[in-house]
Amino acid sequence: MLEIRNLHVTVEDREILKGIDLTIRPGETHAIMGPNGSGKSTLANVIAGRDGYTVTEGEIRFDGKNLLEMDPETRACEGLFLAFQYPVEIPGVANLYFLKAAVNAVRKYRGEPPVDAMDFWDLVHERMELVKMDESMLKRSVNEGFSGGEKKRNEVFQMAVLQPRFAVLDETDSGLDIDALKVVADGVNALRNPERGFLVITHYQRLLDYIVPDHVHVLVNGKIARSGGKELALELEAQGYALYNEEPGRARRAAA
Amino acid sequence: MTAAAPLFSESYRPAFAEFVANRREPDAIARLRREAFDRFQTLGWPTRQQEAWRLTDLSALQTIAWRQPADALVEAGALPTLEGPTHRLVFVNGRFAPGLSRLPKLPDGALITSLGQALTTHLERIEPYLDRLPGLERHPFAALNTAFWEDGAFVYLPCGTVVEEPIHLVFYAAGSDVTVHPRLLLALEGNAQATVVVEYRGQGRYLNVPLAELALGTGAVLHYHQIQEEAPQAFHLGAIRVRQARDSVANLHLLSLGGQLARADLDVLLDGEDAQCALNGLTLARDQQYGDYHVRVEHAQPHGASEQRFKSVLDGKARSVFDGMIHVRPGAQKTDARQTSRNLLLSKQAQAQANPRLEILADDVKCGHGSTTGFLDPDAEFYLRARGIPATQARALLVHAFANDNLNQIRLTPLRERLARLLAARLALDLAEGK
Repeated sequence: MLEIRNLHVTVEDREILKGIDLTIRPGETHAIMGPNGSGKSTLANVIAGRDGYTVTEGEIRFDGKNLLEMDPETRACEGLFLAFQYPVEIPGVANLYFLKAAVNAVRKYRGEPPVDAMDFWDLVHERMELVKMDESMLKRSVNEGFSGGEKKRNEVFQMAVLQPRFAVLDETDSGLDIDALKVVADGVNALRNPERGFLVITHYQRLLDYIVPDHVHVLVNGKIARSGGKELALELEAQGYALYNEEPGRARRAAA
Repeated sequence: MTAAAPLFSESYRPAFAEFVANRREPDAIARLRREAFDRFQTLGWPTRQQEAWRLTDLSALQTIAWRQPADALVEAGALPTLEGPTHRLVFVNGRFAPGLSRLPKLPDGALITSLGQALTTHLERIEPYLDRLPGLERHPFAALNTAFWEDGAFVYLPCGTVVEEPIHLVFYAAGSDVTVHPRLLLALEGNAQATVVVEYRGQGRYLNVPLAELALGTGAVLHYHQIQEEAPQAFHLGAIRVRQARDSVANLHLLSLGGQLARADLDVLLDGEDAQCALNGLTLARDQQYGDYHVRVEHAQPHGASEQRFKSVLDGKARSVFDGMIHVRPGAQKTDARQTSRNLLLSKQAQAQANPRLEILADDVKCGHGSTTGFLDPDAEFYLRARGIPATQARALLVHAFANDNLNQIRLTPLRERLARLLAARLALDLAEGK
């Protein structure tokens, strides 16, 4: 469902991704691991359509459609979801209002009428339990004053409500204690099904104990250095990224 | 200088002579007018060499030969309304329009009426307040209003009187190159309470020079709302004086939407211990609009609290100015005074200027101010778009959130909801999409 071919990306004239090839089929969960600055977040942001990244070569196809020609909202409406590494605080926009606007934007794109208020309420309540979120968070402004764990749970909650066909989780484990990590992982696992694809981006193997991937890729210096099964994550845990270490941190410095 | 420039100083004199000759009113009032006119002559038309007027460009007004307005007919449909029971006074070109007004029964001793009419019936209630509040002594347009006001609203609530229904005061101006000087005098005696909504509207190119005087007795509570929605070609140079006695509470909500040039000068004196004042201002401006608040809050007594929260949202080549002074007198210990100015620019040509100023002459006080000006947060916009919300709607949502924060301070529900709808319409945001 997601096909990345020979993807080269520059940020401010520095090449960060240097030829990525990756194919994810429906129902598969892939993990991308790599040291800081290897280009992991660049990949997530390019898939979601954030400004400031220039694709110089290659393509990304989503169900055969050229993803790179779509603006971010069209990608979302097509069924793509990015769980942000740093969810943004939006004072004055209530979480519930925001979610409904998002759900209705997607429905409008599909030519469907706005969601029925009662149906929406039922869906929201059901999904809140999935990530053990308190109802009071619905009335609060989006991510405003949320703890790190609450923000990440809110990302998974949004994903659970929007029910995308393909989701990218960008360092969803960072800043989480083990209990919060389990909640988030349970939320993700509950959404896994034969139609839905996931790309889990992480620095640490820890998350992959709970979200067990089908495939693991090691991203180093803008290239996939190695691909394998879930056992590759354990190997990395034992050995670290030292084996792949060439100029770590380049992407991070360029993006800063 | 253009040939029209002297009009504003010298040729006002025959206009004033003619104006007072045609009025039959008590000597005391005539004397106030003469004194004010002399003050206006002395102060003269403001120039940008004066610090208080440095940023306000009045040159567009000075090329126009302003005249006194004729009577105008206004369709009731052109006037704003408030849902629910209200006391309603309408003034057209500064003159009372009883046919458009509606006054339910009032508690004993309370007055909500035409100021002109009250001069003959309740002069003793007016005299202690009219042009007696301190502040704005060097404001030429406040002086001009006192010289030329024809009519206005008079609200008087005796001790302990609480008027639950909002007092809705609509000032409508119509005409071409006319100038109007509507007046509002509001006096709340001890522990009286009122909710007031003042609306400025009109059609044509006119100059509105309103002056509002708000006197709060001990323990009085006032919720005052002012919605400036003048015609697109109009000019608004308004002034508000507030004097608060001990334990009084004044909540002022000021919304500036219309006119090509709009400025309001506020002078608030916390003249008794434990007085509280909240000033909540929002300016929405676009195209070439100019919106300006000059605010002075003076703490004269201990334990006072004041908060100024001013925001502007500027599109096109619009400009806003916020000049806010907190002055704490030597004896006003334990004062808690805050001030923020936050400005959101929607275009690169828009410009916001904030001048926070503090004069603290007491040593045991809490005073703070902050000012921010910036564009929409691109990260927030991307976050919304990444959830499927189209770019235009995402931007509208963010602007709405920024501005609605001020509207949410308004406790008068029908007004808050009306203004929220207006804001949404102005931002072309279809609330139905999200709600």
